[in-house]
Amino acid sequence: MKSRSVLPFLLVLVTVLAACNRTTRYPLRGDVVAKSVATGEITVNHEDIPGFMAAMVMPYRVKDPAVVQQVEPGDKIAAEVVVGNDRSDYWLENVRITDRSGRGRVKTPTGSQMLMPGERVPDVTLINQDGRKIRLSDFAGKAVLVTFIYTRCPMPNFCPRLSSQFARIHNELRKSTEDYDKTHLLTISFDPKYDTSAVLHKYGLAYLDGDESGFSHWDFASTDPADLRRLALAFGLEYEEADNQISHTMSIVLVAPNGTVAKYWSTDWTWTELMASLQHAALSAAPAGGE
Amino acid sequence: MARVLLLAGVAAALVVAACQAKQQQPSASAIEGQWIYDNNCAECHENPQPDLHKQPPNLHGLFFRKALPSGALATNAQVRMTIVEGKGTMPAFAQRLRDQDVNDLIEYLHRLR
Repeated sequence: MKSRSVLPFLLVLVTVLAACNRTTRYPLRGDVVAKSVATGEITVNHEDIPGFMAAMVMPYRVKDPAVVQQVEPGDKIAAEVVVGNDRSDYWLENVRITDRSGRGRVKTPTGSQMLMPGERVPDVTLINQDGRKIRLSDFAGKAVLVTFIYTRCPMPNFCPRLSSQFARIHNELRKSTEDYDKTHLLTISFDPKYDTSAVLHKYGLAYLDGDESGFSHWDFASTDPADLRRLALAFGLEYEEADNQISHTMSIVLVAPNGTVAKYWSTDWTWTELMASLQHAALSAAPAGGE
Repeated sequence: MARVLLLAGVAAALVVAACQAKQQQPSASAIEGQWIYDNNCAECHENPQPDLHKQPPNLHGLFFRKALPSGALATNAQVRMTIVEGKGTMPAFAQRLRDQDVNDLIEYLHRLR
């Protein structure tokens, strides 16, 4: 009797949970460019995914870790992109290798030019929100969290989310002078035509709640198209402008105090994880004025 | 005579009703504006992500109040400037929406209760 009365409740609960966890599936076709067994990700040069993403090179988490072991760069695959309620959360399922003949012959240069952890970042010159030249080497001795945005991005799960979460990290780090002094945030625009210093200044101030002093810890910068391309290749960022919109991937790079890549994130991260990694990397900095 | 008055009264009522019905029908511009709103504005302004730095304001009734959420007067010119140039953490829609798109969007916002 008791179990009979519980059954309808369970059915309702299961139905509600199923509705809450609604996902959308999109078919994907493309070539595997790179894979990382450590992060469970494969980077795919894929065709248009109508309703979700324009054709581009992009890393995807794979639900089944065995798949990452099986695929190799150069493979052609067919898969399903599963997109959660929160459109920033997506992964691949039902990955099938449709053609193995291209193994070892990867066409896109992105995979090969992307820096590996431990490699030195290019010392590119950027122009910041104050119109001042800055170089990545200016931050030597600090752990730097770098990301890419464009200020006109209307997708709340992409650039606005990145800047919002960087703002949280900035506000948290501010609570500790030591953390604040040993770290830096750098947001780079991939829309240098529109994102002038003045535009970046206004954009940055909105995320710094109008506090100009925050720019000493968080730069908003752009660079010329050639250097931007260099950085994008180095950090595995893809962006493409069409119809006045920029389709792009997310790339967050942690640069260690010695100027080398420490870690990457693309889709799967939280601000607490980024901040913890940044604080941890800052610990490896030589103590200022040490004995 | 009473009959004529009655007929005239009925006719007048019909004309008034027709005029009101016409006013309630959205214009072609407002219909276009709704499409633009749904595809460009709704994702932030209808169900904002809780982890955004600033919560985008709800735009229902925007033109039925004197002031915009920013405190500025609720005028077409002010709303146009906000859409084109952005405001705070709201991105600019410059070069993304054409002038006519912005006109249509404002037309729709006037009806959005």
